[in-house]
Amino acid sequence: MNESDGKRRLPRYDEAALAYEHPLYKTLLAAPGLSVSVAPLDLLLSWGTMNSLWVFPMATSCCGIELMSAAASRVDLDRMGTIVRATPRQADVMVVAGTITVKMAPRVKLLWDQMPEPKWCIAMGSCAISGDFYRELYSVVPGIDTFLPVDVYIPGCPPNPEALMHGLLRLQEKVKLARAGQLVAKEYPPNRLDITKPSIARLSDPARDPALSAAQEKSAGEATATDESDERGGGNASAVEPFAAETTSTDVEALLRELGVTEFPKDGAPIVPVEQHVTLARRLRAMNYRIFVHVVATHFPEKTGAKAAPERFEVAYALRSVGSGSKIASWRLSLATGQAAPTLVGVFAGADWQEREQFDLVGVRFDGHPDLRRIMMPGNWEGHPLRKDYPADKACTPWR
Amino acid sequence: MEMSEAHAVLASARRARVDPHLSIKTYDPEADMMLLHFGPQHPSTHGVFRMDLHLDGEIVVKATPYVGYLHRAVEKLCEKLSYVMLTPIVDKNDYVAPMTNEQALNMAFEKLLGVEVPRRARWLRTILAELQRVASHLLWLGTFTLDLGGALGGGSTLFLHCFRERELILDLFEDLTGARFHYNTHTIGGNRHDLPAGFAAKVKQVVAVIEARLPEYAALSLDNGIFKARTTGVGVLDGDLALELGITGPVLRASGVDHDLRRDAPYHAYDELPVNVVVGHGGDCRARAEVRFAEMRESLRLVRDAIDGVPEGPINGYKPIRQPTMAKSTGGQVYVGIETPRGELGTFVIGGGDTPTSPYRLKIRPPSLHSLSALPYILPGQTVSDAVAILGSLDPIMGEVDR
Amino acid sequence: MNGLVHGAVYGGVIASVLLTTIAFGIWFERKFAGRMQSRLGPTIVGPFGLLQSVADVVKLLQKEDIVPRDADRPLFDLAPVLAALFSLGVAAVVPFSPTIIASDLDVGVLYILAVGGLMVIPTFMAGWASNNKFALIGGMRAIAQSVSYGVPLVLAVLVPVILSGTLSVSGIVTYQANHHWFLTWPVFIGVPAFAIYYMAMLAESNRIPFDIPEAESELVAGVTTEYTGAKFTLFYMAEYVHTLVGSAVGAALFLGGWDGPFAPGLHWMVLKTLVLFTVVYWVRWSLLRLRSDQLMVLCWKWLTPIGVLLVLGAAAWVQFVPGGFQ
Repeated sequence: MNESDGKRRLPRYDEAALAYEHPLYKTLLAAPGLSVSVAPLDLLLSWGTMNSLWVFPMATSCCGIELMSAAASRVDLDRMGTIVRATPRQADVMVVAGTITVKMAPRVKLLWDQMPEPKWCIAMGSCAISGDFYRELYSVVPGIDTFLPVDVYIPGCPPNPEALMHGLLRLQEKVKLARAGQLVAKEYPPNRLDITKPSIARLSDPARDPALSAAQEKSAGEATATDESDERGGGNASAVEPFAAETTSTDVEALLRELGVTEFPKDGAPIVPVEQHVTLARRLRAMNYRIFVHVVATHFPEKTGAKAAPERFEVAYALRSVGSGSKIASWRLSLATGQAAPTLVGVFAGADWQEREQFDLVGVRFDGHPDLRRIMMPGNWEGHPLRKDYPADKACTPWR
Repeated sequence: MEMSEAHAVLASARRARVDPHLSIKTYDPEADMMLLHFGPQHPSTHGVFRMDLHLDGEIVVKATPYVGYLHRAVEKLCEKLSYVMLTPIVDKNDYVAPMTNEQALNMAFEKLLGVEVPRRARWLRTILAELQRVASHLLWLGTFTLDLGGALGGGSTLFLHCFRERELILDLFEDLTGARFHYNTHTIGGNRHDLPAGFAAKVKQVVAVIEARLPEYAALSLDNGIFKARTTGVGVLDGDLALELGITGPVLRASGVDHDLRRDAPYHAYDELPVNVVVGHGGDCRARAEVRFAEMRESLRLVRDAIDGVPEGPINGYKPIRQPTMAKSTGGQVYVGIETPRGELGTFVIGGGDTPTSPYRLKIRPPSLHSLSALPYILPGQTVSDAVAILGSLDPIMGEVDR
Repeated sequence: MNGLVHGAVYGGVIASVLLTTIAFGIWFERKFAGRMQSRLGPTIVGPFGLLQSVADVVKLLQKEDIVPRDADRPLFDLAPVLAALFSLGVAAVVPFSPTIIASDLDVGVLYILAVGGLMVIPTFMAGWASNNKFALIGGMRAIAQSVSYGVPLVLAVLVPVILSGTLSVSGIVTYQANHHWFLTWPVFIGVPAFAIYYMAMLAESNRIPFDIPEAESELVAGVTTEYTGAKFTLFYMAEYVHTLVGSAVGAALFLGGWDGPFAPGLHWMVLKTLVLFTVVYWVRWSLLRLRSDQLMVLCWKWLTPIGVLLVLGAAAWVQFVPGGFQ
């Protein structure tokens, strides 16, 4: 793009370099009547192609719901002959609707390769276009145009169903022009800054008073500056109990004391010795705490200086009692580096996937878990993303 | 279904419970089984979910689910951003019910920061949550019949009708928040958007329309012979197993467990607006469908009762927090769980840390993750067609499973 | 020689008319489904979206022809051709009027059953040759379904054969024109026989609620999962032709074919066929899909025994009722 005069320009093709002539081209052109009869046929073929764009829904997340809405009664893509085919072999347009992760991207590419030519790709929604606010994160592909040739970009989060229809109309036009032999400039992904800028070009208007711009910039800056007087500080969680039903009840406290817990900190659940952990879960289960709520592992990296502390992991557990007056019972384990927590799968089958997730993302091992594999990340992933020393935008080939 | 019959079904399910980690070789060494990769891109997997089905003919012998194809690192992102910036992020988790996502998150932050929510905001949140529940269940009904009846058949007829009514609710939300889908209407301490003029009348109109049409949907699904044949006794999940797996919400209640956080641990305005909890029995796909139907009616009733009684007052306990640095926490760990259309959606936050304006650790407890983890237990013995029906009846949303 | 020319000319005309009807039948189905689903259906391509199917075919014919790497190439290529051939082949003996018939076979009913029954072979060929697990399961389901539903189909068709005493389709229609439609009398045999015929016809042409070989929510696209472009078009059309011809056969065997007052025979036959064809789509866009084992239960526990009873009833009617047989 040529930014010198502040205007965005479409790329220029070097038409001489692109010119290719089939050896038979001149001969056929000279054949009497041939071009006249072929031209309507070509028009017919191009008309058929552009009026029957069958969609392959590569729907992964929110945009997929809007893709469904677009096929539903209010917008009804069937009006323009667009129907959704479940198999890539019979589709013309792949609508990538939703975030594509590094685990999903190879599958998307495979499905794209399975589609028959001629085929087109629509990037629906900002996740597919650029990765949106997940862009800088370790597991998300920053835009599908890094591995697919995108024809039409439909910005929005998610785009309305009408926007999808507009995108399909734009694609129709592109197909038509391309079939007519015109060079269609590549559509560029909407620049993220361009999207956020006002659509009216008033800032670059030469007649505009520069003082006005300065005043607007100043007020915009003030809106994001810290206003200390408005600051709302430091709630200590245990001091406020808006939800009376969720306090630790006394019988749980008695059980914890029985199991050798003496400290009941104000800023969280009590820390239970690792060896009492499974017993506690069993006893609580017998006390009607039958719903497994969560297991959360947290990484506390090594600290130096005044508050020096070794690296440790905290694993928080919560159970919920069934029926009226439902309460939460929670406790924590404190683990040193390399120390494993005993698994709860034997007590609560629901701990299975949650423990796998914590193992995958934080790297805490659970002793005795029957199937401790990665669950969220691909099997060959290195490192544990939710550790504090793991960069959020960790390099992930081939995307960043 | 008679109670004794239901008990017999439950007992057989308990007997038939299989160990999901069992090696397939121990089933039958001579069997010539087919391994069917079902997903991650498949019309009936509700997003990007994959299960490997070992098939003996058409009978599923073992099912191995795989998740994580939509892992968007939301929890890592939450550690990077400040408290007030997180609401629009979690909108995208359970993208069928964004309202309840926002509520679960902001309630946890309110508890952590010690912010009181005014009564009007709590009523508002109740109404939004219940409308969202209806919208979510409508979408579920549509996609479920799509699974049973195909995109080129009766399933899609009901699907499109459900979407027509869902659009009405989305229009209400658009009136209120300006957004059709991802609302960003809850903040710490209350709501961002107050009810627009004439909203109550519109809501009552929409509620009346949907209530009038629910019997039509029931005729196309619950009362339809083929629907009955496809769902009765299919995918029986007994209450004990459901509890053990941490399953909550309509799936748990369909298994006969009387547990609903709206009544058992009231939040919002549910202490003033009592909920009649719907409990099904049988634990099969049909029970799950019946429970969701009854919940839709109950939610509509609740909205109709609540919309006129919204108390006057501020919708936000404080000035709306606009600036990222305004919410700070010095420490503490809280957990808040609320009843979303899919079950208990919880948010666990550890405050404090080096950057007091953002959570040190934030974990979202997704109900769908637990529902999906039931699949290895209830799929074996069913056919491929049933596998689709069972997966649909669990109503998983991969956005919140993988986050 | 004269018969060959007659067959070629009429066969060609009937096949072309059928294919044209299919193109607009698909348009009609999409509009019809749209009305049932409170939307519009195709509106943009051509007046009222009439040219939508034409555009679809033009597009499909231009698509790349993909053969999966490990596919059984000859079978994979042959299957769609055979599907189109067999589905159109049935139309050869269907009398659209006393004169418009490609070949008036003496054993027309037998021919219909034989050629119609062959339809399952290309379906299974496609499922097998695609080397795709979804397609293979679809092909297996198709075999099971077609073999099972062949039995009630034969039994139901036997009823008009017994009542009229001829195997020729035009003979049956002539009998009905001279006496009464089999749907109207004997009504306690004709109506259930017609119902069984209709259900078996839905099953044979893989229509909801019996579309388990396709079952796009379970098997992606069933046997046609791997087919692209022109081959898929052939399958797609074969399905519709099968349904249309099945409707025509039903109209001829039970609804009196070309018989009707006020208008020439052809009009009546076309009208009856199209009404039956529409009902197929009415059913299709209202009902959900049955499971394969439930299909078998329906076939073997209900339709087949009832079919046997109906055949016995028809035989008894012919034997014992005075005037039952001419």
